Amino acid sequence: MRAYLLRRLWQSAVTLVGVSILVFVILRVVPGDPAKMLLPEGAPPSAVEELNRHLGLREPLWVQYEIFLRSVVRGDFGQSFQYRAPALRVVIERVPATIALAVAAMALTVVVGVSLGVLTAVRQGTPWDYGGTVLAVLGQSLPNFWLGIMLVLLFGVTLRWLPTSGFGGWASLVLPSVTLAAFPTALVARLTRASLLEILGQEYIRTGRAKGLGERRVVLRHALRNATIPLLTVLGLQIGTLLGGAVITESIFAWPGMGKLVVDAIFFRDFPVVQTILILSATIFVVINLLVDLLYTVLDPRIRYG
Amino acid sequence: MRRLPRHPMIVVGGLILIAIVAASAAAPWLAPADPVKPSFAQRLTPPRGLGGAAAHPLGTDNLGRDILARVLYGGRLSLALAAGAVVLAGGVGVVLGLLAGLAGGRVDDLLMRLADVQLAFPVIMLAIAIVAVVGTSPAALVGVLAVSGWVLYARTVRAAVLTIRETEYVEAARTLGAGNVRLVTRHFLPNTLAPILVLCSSQFATMVLLESGLSFLGLGLQPPQPSWGLMLAEGRDYLSNAWWLATMPGIAISLVVLGANLLGDGLRDLLDPRLRD
Amino acid sequence: MLTLDPANHYSISSTSVLRHVYDPLLDVTNDDRFVPALAESWKALNNTTWRFTLRKGVRFHDGTPFTADSVLFTLKRVRDNTKLIKSFVYQDIDDVRKDDDFTVTVTTKRPFGSLPARLTMLGMLPPAAGAHEEAFFTKPVGTGPFRFLSWTHGDHVELEANARYWRPSIPKVDKLTVRFIPELSTRAAALRAGEIHVIDRVWPDMVATLKATAGIKVLDTPAVEAQRWHFQLAREAGKDPRVRKAVSLAIDRNTIIKELLLGYARPVVSPIPPGLIGHTTLGQKPYDPDRARAILKQAGFQNLTLDFVLMKDLYPKQLEIAQAVAAMLGDVGIKVNIRNLEIATAREQRTAGNYDLFYSGWAHMPHDPDWYFGQWFTRAGAEKMTRFNDPRVEQLIAEGRVPDPKVRQQKYEEIQKILWEDEPEIWPYYSVAIYAISDRLRNFEARRDYYVLLHEVGIA
Repeated sequence: MRAYLLRRLWQSAVTLVGVSILVFVILRVVPGDPAKMLLPEGAPPSAVEELNRHLGLREPLWVQYEIFLRSVVRGDFGQSFQYRAPALRVVIERVPATIALAVAAMALTVVVGVSLGVLTAVRQGTPWDYGGTVLAVLGQSLPNFWLGIMLVLLFGVTLRWLPTSGFGGWASLVLPSVTLAAFPTALVARLTRASLLEILGQEYIRTGRAKGLGERRVVLRHALRNATIPLLTVLGLQIGTLLGGAVITESIFAWPGMGKLVVDAIFFRDFPVVQTILILSATIFVVINLLVDLLYTVLDPRIRYG
Repeated sequence: MRRLPRHPMIVVGGLILIAIVAASAAAPWLAPADPVKPSFAQRLTPPRGLGGAAAHPLGTDNLGRDILARVLYGGRLSLALAAGAVVLAGGVGVVLGLLAGLAGGRVDDLLMRLADVQLAFPVIMLAIAIVAVVGTSPAALVGVLAVSGWVLYARTVRAAVLTIRETEYVEAARTLGAGNVRLVTRHFLPNTLAPILVLCSSQFATMVLLESGLSFLGLGLQPPQPSWGLMLAEGRDYLSNAWWLATMPGIAISLVVLGANLLGDGLRDLLDPRLRD
Repeated sequence: MLTLDPANHYSISSTSVLRHVYDPLLDVTNDDRFVPALAESWKALNNTTWRFTLRKGVRFHDGTPFTADSVLFTLKRVRDNTKLIKSFVYQDIDDVRKDDDFTVTVTTKRPFGSLPARLTMLGMLPPAAGAHEEAFFTKPVGTGPFRFLSWTHGDHVELEANARYWRPSIPKVDKLTVRFIPELSTRAAALRAGEIHVIDRVWPDMVATLKATAGIKVLDTPAVEAQRWHFQLAREAGKDPRVRKAVSLAIDRNTIIKELLLGYARPVVSPIPPGLIGHTTLGQKPYDPDRARAILKQAGFQNLTLDFVLMKDLYPKQLEIAQAVAAMLGDVGIKVNIRNLEIATAREQRTAGNYDLFYSGWAHMPHDPDWYFGQWFTRAGAEKMTRFNDPRVEQLIAEGRVPDPKVRQQKYEEIQKILWEDEPEIWPYYSVAIYAISDRLRNFEARRDYYVLLHEVGIA
């Protein structure tokens, strides 16, 4: 177990270095000039050149990477081009809103998605099943912006039950997290249903039933437990999406999260901010998936430390 | 084929998909108007029955173009793109997932690290890089979509393989001297098919929506040729005063998802070896 | 909203916040007059020397008095620290001298007629800011009507009234919260829900919905912005004046203004919009597709294809208008490839000359056209943009850079006559700025320069 852990940690480090190099190189190879994005169109070429020099972008690529690595080791991710402040600070300011939204959306996904999945599986072929399937289809096919704007218009403008936008208090969390959770909830519901149906047809379950175990006990204790593995995989993957991929939801609800920050930073060629966010989110991502892999082995002893 | 009637989901799902594909293919004959030519005096007329004219059953868009015509023509491009992306991503993902799960060791490590790097990396940046090199073409878009999608298949397949690998019947087969190819085709593929089919059918919608997202970011298809994604993106700014612009292509996408889901579930039941008897 | 340093950004939203905290030396009114702010008066002693007399009795929020030292510090800082985004705007300043505590003389390296205009863009800082700049700009003080309280990045800024503001009985509200809501639908929803009192950047199509909501008023004003789509003058199509003429004749500007912008735009009569120095009347460009076809045929351009490049989401309804233009040009036999690209890529494409027509607008900040001419119609400015090069125009631009407004008006009229004939750009319309407010708001002024300034605004 210990050797396995060490190996996984080493692999995680390799992933992170890989991400950092890839980000670093792609940012600088992609067309687009940071100084030009900061200055208005009327700025003379000499000013553009001067600013690029100040931003450290006139050094050779490998020198830039070396400087970057050295600073990162000291905890310095450089100065944001756009915000003219330490990139790490700019990013950390967005963490509370990002985490709040991701956690709320993830909780909704798990609770609603799994319940819906169990319901539709147990009541297979009944109106419950069909209703659940329709909901899942809508969840998967409604564009985020469509759902988001419709929710704002209904609950914010017409009914005035909830604030339209902004970050502050529980009420402001409701609409964005529902919007963000719609897709993963539908995915989880369908996966749960599919896995449960498969497992419920297997022999040991039939044996359990034959032994006279209650249906509730069969479903919850045995079947659901075995359906957890594919679910965990998908949930682990969805976390990345929830953290960094919430850009449309964040735009609609004026939510000060990292998704919009990173997309704007990419578009404005704010290299330090993009690098900081990607390395940070890659770290979180790697850690979570490490945990998921460890959970596999706990949940299913048949999986060896592969 | 004798089993088909016992799986009404396949029939219904298949019919829905066939109808949509056929309607898109027949767009030149079905469309009531030109999908590209603007008609400024007809801007934003609502669908028929909601105050709109009979000539435009689903209403018109912000340039007075017939939305039914655009949905029909848009289906051609969107369905082809999404299908291309799902096939490419699914194919690559399944192969790499099987490889990682079966080979284990270094190969597994390498592939999974690649998957991690890919997942930790935003699609938008990849899209910008690819667009910068090859421009915005449908083929480039399929590439971007596939690159963003393969990991999901690979990891799901790998997880399934890891579970199945240790089951008794596979070990029994191995003891009996079954080769790798036989193991894959007879045991692993059939047993991983269920999650793959579910993924494929759900990814299909994701691909259409992602195409819309990329259009919206200026990294997707270019107007005026319609695609569902482009129509969604263009309708976004009109959602609070002309809801039908984005809603009509949205309904088309929902129908495709419904058809794909039913078909996926049905196929799963049909192919699952344990449900066969 | 990017930073609290008034010299270190070039963004309208940042300006809308920071103009409440810092005052400039001069202000510009909505009818384009330059009026005293922290400078009571100013005068050009000759073409390269300006004298500013400062307002007495003004204090920063921390109690320190505003004097000539503040002006010296602020101007020298922005000129010398080339890391600052606005530094290039003030490079022509040669020296700043303190004559006494309330008199400052600025000398310039060359005639610099737009200096007063450019000074409207620069908030005055206390000299003490120089000691610990980073700390200062997390909790900044200015002389403005509001003090800075807090900034939640990406969400909102909070300001509170400065009771000792130098303008009597201003401000009229105790607290000001500026929220950043990028999505127009949400912005409008927040206003309709009564969460906020003012929104800016309203689209024409949203006006009817807003007007139909009780308690909301919509205001609009001609902006200091003209839309201008420039040709790539080194490429085959744009190089030929006949093609430019045909394209211009094939575009139905009135339809764009009436049908697509619902009247929220004005027909162009000269490249410089009304109200600014240099504006004149040269007539309206005609719409005549038959003549366009005839010109193209005569010139031998049968299967012309144009790349029309757009910077994603930069101008309201740009994709809609571009598609309309593509259809109009299609009518005269020109095929248009629309290429809606993310901004940085689009700009690189322009630098590389990979376009025929480029969708762009020009807001004449700071209410002065010198910038526009210098950027787009001098060889140095246009070299990596449109490749425009006309020695006559270049000469006139240099001659127009004097303080005397009469001379400037005359030179600018001459420049525009040349451009109007030559058509290196298409001028489809002057923009209109649209705002929506709660009807409880008093004294709100819809600004032509897109700034939201609430100094005098009260709530009933």
